[in-house]
Amino acid sequence: MSAYDGDATEMLEAYDFLLKFIVIGEAGTGKSCLLHYFLHNSFKGPSQHTIGVEFSSRTIKLGEKRIKLQLWDTAGQERFRSVTRSYYRGAAGALLVYDITNRDTFTSLPRWLSDARALGSPNLVTVLVGNKADREDEREVEWEEASRWAADNGIHFIETSSITGDNVDAPFRLAARAILLAIEAGTLDPEKAGSGVSYGDRQLRRISSASRFSFGGGTSSRRRNVVVRLKDGVGMSKCC
Amino acid sequence: MSSSASLDLPPPLSASTSERKVSSSSPAAAAAAARNPISLRLYKVLAANFEDDATREALRTLSEFYQPATDKGKGKQLDAGALHLTNGHAHAEPQTPASALLPAVSTGVAVRARKNLRRDVELRLAECSQQFLRAFGEVDEKLDVLNSHVAQMRAKCDEIHAQLQASNDACKYLLERAEGLQTQRQTLIARSELVNSFLKRFTLTPAETDAMVSRDVPVGQSMFDAIDRTEKIREDCRVLLSGEGGESQAGLDIMATTAQLLEQAFQKLLRWCSFEFRQLGRDAMLEVSPTMREAVRRLRAQPALLTEALSALSSIRQTTLLNSFIDALTRGGPGGMPRPIELHAHDPGRYVGDMLAWVHQAMAGEQEFLESLFGVRHARMVGAVRTAGEGEEESWVRRLMDENLEKLCLPLKVRVQQTTRSQEGSITAYKIANLLQFYLVTMQRTIGEQALLTKTVQEITDFAFKVFFDTLEASGRSLLRFLHPPEADLGPPLTLRDFSHVLREIMEDYARADPEAEGDGFKKILDTSLEPALEMCKRMSELMPPQAAWEQHIFLVNCFVYLQAMLEPYGFTGERVDALEEQIEGHVHGLMDEHYTRLLKDSGLHPVVEALSSQTSGPLSHEPAASSAAVTSALKAFDTFLSTLDVQSSPRLALLSVPSVGSRIHRGALARIARDYGRVCDAVRDARNKYEFASTLLGSQRPFGQMGVLSQVLGIAEDEIAAA
Repeated sequence: MSAYDGDATEMLEAYDFLLKFIVIGEAGTGKSCLLHYFLHNSFKGPSQHTIGVEFSSRTIKLGEKRIKLQLWDTAGQERFRSVTRSYYRGAAGALLVYDITNRDTFTSLPRWLSDARALGSPNLVTVLVGNKADREDEREVEWEEASRWAADNGIHFIETSSITGDNVDAPFRLAARAILLAIEAGTLDPEKAGSGVSYGDRQLRRISSASRFSFGGGTSSRRRNVVVRLKDGVGMSKCC
Repeated sequence: MSSSASLDLPPPLSASTSERKVSSSSPAAAAAAARNPISLRLYKVLAANFEDDATREALRTLSEFYQPATDKGKGKQLDAGALHLTNGHAHAEPQTPASALLPAVSTGVAVRARKNLRRDVELRLAECSQQFLRAFGEVDEKLDVLNSHVAQMRAKCDEIHAQLQASNDACKYLLERAEGLQTQRQTLIARSELVNSFLKRFTLTPAETDAMVSRDVPVGQSMFDAIDRTEKIREDCRVLLSGEGGESQAGLDIMATTAQLLEQAFQKLLRWCSFEFRQLGRDAMLEVSPTMREAVRRLRAQPALLTEALSALSSIRQTTLLNSFIDALTRGGPGGMPRPIELHAHDPGRYVGDMLAWVHQAMAGEQEFLESLFGVRHARMVGAVRTAGEGEEESWVRRLMDENLEKLCLPLKVRVQQTTRSQEGSITAYKIANLLQFYLVTMQRTIGEQALLTKTVQEITDFAFKVFFDTLEASGRSLLRFLHPPEADLGPPLTLRDFSHVLREIMEDYARADPEAEGDGFKKILDTSLEPALEMCKRMSELMPPQAAWEQHIFLVNCFVYLQAMLEPYGFTGERVDALEEQIEGHVHGLMDEHYTRLLKDSGLHPVVEALSSQTSGPLSHEPAASSAAVTSALKAFDTFLSTLDVQSSPRLALLSVPSVGSRIHRGALARIARDYGRVCDAVRDARNKYEFASTLLGSQRPFGQMGVLSQVLGIAEDEIAAA
C-alpha cells in the first residue's frame, strides 16, 4: 500500500496502545508471507511451514495514535492446532487468512472462526483476509462470495497479495481501527488484563478517556465509515 | 620784451634749469636768422615745453621749497627756527614757496633761489640723511633690544630643550616600564585566556553541574550532555596528567571533582531509574522511553549501580508477571472472558498448553521490553531463529529475562507436574510430554538453552517424559502380571489389542508433531512399550502344553502380524517392523516344517520319502518301505491325496488370523511335498535302484511321474518346487 511509511524498523518507538493480534488460517495460505510483507515491506519468497507460533511486532500510526502490534503468526497445519489454539486467549484481533486460489482453505473457514469465537475474547475483532490476490487466473473463491460470508458472520473482509504487497497493511489497520473504536465506545477496557490491549504511554492513562481519540467523531458513524473504506480498499485491490 | 612779458614763468624755469634758460635765450635771439645755429638753439629752447607733468611736479616742489621764505618774511626766523628744531636743518625757511604766490613773491626769493638752489638742495638732502640717520640709529637701538630678546629667547629655548631632553630621558624609563608592563599585560591576557579556556574545558558550568547532581533538574538530554562533558573532561585530564609536566595539582583536583560529580550523577540516574522501573513494573506491557534507554546505557558504565537498579526492576517484574499469570489462571480476562486457564484443568492438554502459551507470550513481551531497554535491535525475519548475540547487552537481556521470569517457573512447574503426575494413561502423558517438548524447542530458540525458563521447561519436559515412560512401563508390567493361555482362536489377546490402541495413539501424536521425524526419539518409546508386549505373547504361548508347538507358533504369528500391521504405517518404526518380520518368518518356517511333516503323512508318500532319506547303500527297491509294492501303494495314496487336496488352504492353518500367511505356509509345504514326489520319481527312474518297469510304476497313478502335471495340479511353479 502506498500508505506504507517504511517504519518497520521503529519497533522500539513509543506508542499509545499495544494490541495483540493473531494470524490464523489453513496451512499454505500465506500467513507468514503476509506478515513478512507487513513487517519488512517485501515478499518473503518461498518459505517453510511455520512451526508452532512465531512472534513479531510493528508500530503503526493510526490518526494521531501510535499503535504497537504484537503479532502472533500461527502454524496452519492440523498437527499444530492444539498448540495454536492456546494463543487465541488474550488476542485483541485475529486475521483469518484463506487462499483465493484454493477453495478448501475457504470452506474450512467456519471451523477457524468458531475456534476464534470460542477461545478468544468476546471482543475479538476478526478480519477475513483473502490472500494471493495477485493470482487472479487461478481464483477459486469469488470476491462476492467471501464478502457475503464475511458480512453474514459480522467480520471485516479484504483481499491482499503478499507478493505485490497490495493491501497488506489494510487488514492490520482495519483491525486496529476497529479495536480503537471499541475502546472509544467503552466496550473494550484496556485496563483489564487479558483484553489483548494495553496502554503504551503511561501518561495517557491519567488523562480522561473522553478526549483521547483525535481521529474519531461519533462512534456509529465512524463504524460505517470503516465499512465503506473497507469496500473501497477491496475495490482497489480488484482492479489492480 | 614781449617775449619776456609773455613768459613770466620762463625765468623761474630757466632759473631752475639754468642751462635751458641759457639756450632758450639764444634761439630767441636768433629767430630772425633762421639759419643761425644760435637762433636755432634759441628756438629750440623757447619751443621747449614745460607743460609735462614731471616738469610741473618738479617745479611745484621747487616752489614749495621756497614758499615759506617769501610768504612770512617776518616769521621766517621763527619758522626757520622751528624748522631747525623739527628737521634738524638750518635751511627750512625757503621751503615754503607756492606757485600761486609766486608772482607775488618778490624777486628776492627768486634771487636767493637762483643763488642757493644747489646749496639748499644739498642741505636739504643732508638734512634728510640726518633724519634717516637718526631714524636708523633708533632702529638700531630697537634691533639691539630685539637681539637681546632673541638671545634671551634662545637661552630659554635651550633651557627648555635641555629640560625636554631631561624629561625625555626620564620618560624613556617610564616608556620602557610601560612597554614592559604592556608585555606583561599581554602575557597575562594570554594566560587568562588560557586559564579561561582551560577552565572552560576542564570545569563544568553551574547549569551542567546542576543537571548532573541536582534533584530539581529532571533526567534528560541535558544531564546526558553534562555527563558526556564530564567524561570528556576526565579523558582530557588523563592526557594532561600523563603529559610531560607530570601530574599537576589542577589535574588531580579536576579528576577528583569530576569523579565525585560523576558518582553523584550516577546516583541520580540510579534513583531515577529505580523510580521509573517501579512505575513501569505495574504495567503488564511495557514501553521504554528513549531517556530510559539512554539512562540504562549510561548506567552500564557502573555495573554495580545498574545491577541495583535492575534488580529492583526484576523484582517488580517478577511480581507483576506472577500476578498476571495467576490472574490468567484463576480469573481469566475482563468479565471472565477468555475464561480462566484453570477452568480447563480437566483437559490436561489444553490446560498445560494454555499455560505454556501464556508464558511464551509473556516471554515475548518481556524480551521485547528488555531488548528495547538495552537498545538491542534484531533484524529478525518472521519465523527466523533468534540467534543469541554475544554482546554485553545480550548478556544483560539474558540475565534479566531469567530474573524477570524466575517467579513464573515455580507455579508453572508445580501445575504442569501436578497435571502430568495425575495422568494414568500413557496417551495423555505422552501428549503432555510432547507439548512440553515443543515448547522446550520454542524456548530454546527464543531465549536460549541456558535461560532459566528453558531449564525449567526442560525439567518439566523431562519429568513429563519420565511420567510417560513410567506409565508405559507400568502398563508393560501389567501386561505381564495376569498371564493366561491364549484363547481357543489363538488370536491376539485383548490386552495386546488394548496396548496396540494406546501405542497407535502415541505414534499418531508423534507423527503429527513431526512428520519428517526419523524416529530416533521414538525408539525408546517403542522399546519400552513393545518389549513387554512381545514378552507377554511369548509367555502366553509358553503357558500352552508343550505338545502344542503348532498352536504356539500360530498364536505368536498372529500376535506379531497384528503388531506389525499396527506399526507399519509409520515411517519411523521400520527397524521394529523388520525385527518382527524376522520373528514372524521364524515362526512361519516352524509352521511350514510342521505342516509339511503332517502333509507328507497325509499324502502317503512319507514311508518312501523316509526310506529315500535313510537309504544307505544298495538299491532302494530292496528297502522294505520302498519296495515296488510299497511305492505303488504310496503313489496310489498320493493320487487320492491330490484329488482331495485344497491347494489354497489347510484347515490346520485356519486359526492364522492372516489368511495369506496360512496360504503361504500351505503352499510352501505343498512345494516341498512336490519336491519329495520329484525325488521319489527320480529315485524310481534311477537304474541303480533297480525298480522294474519304473515308468509303468510311476505312470499308473497321477501325476504319472510328470512334475509339470503336479505343478499344474498344485498351482505351484516348477522352479518354486525346485527351490523348496
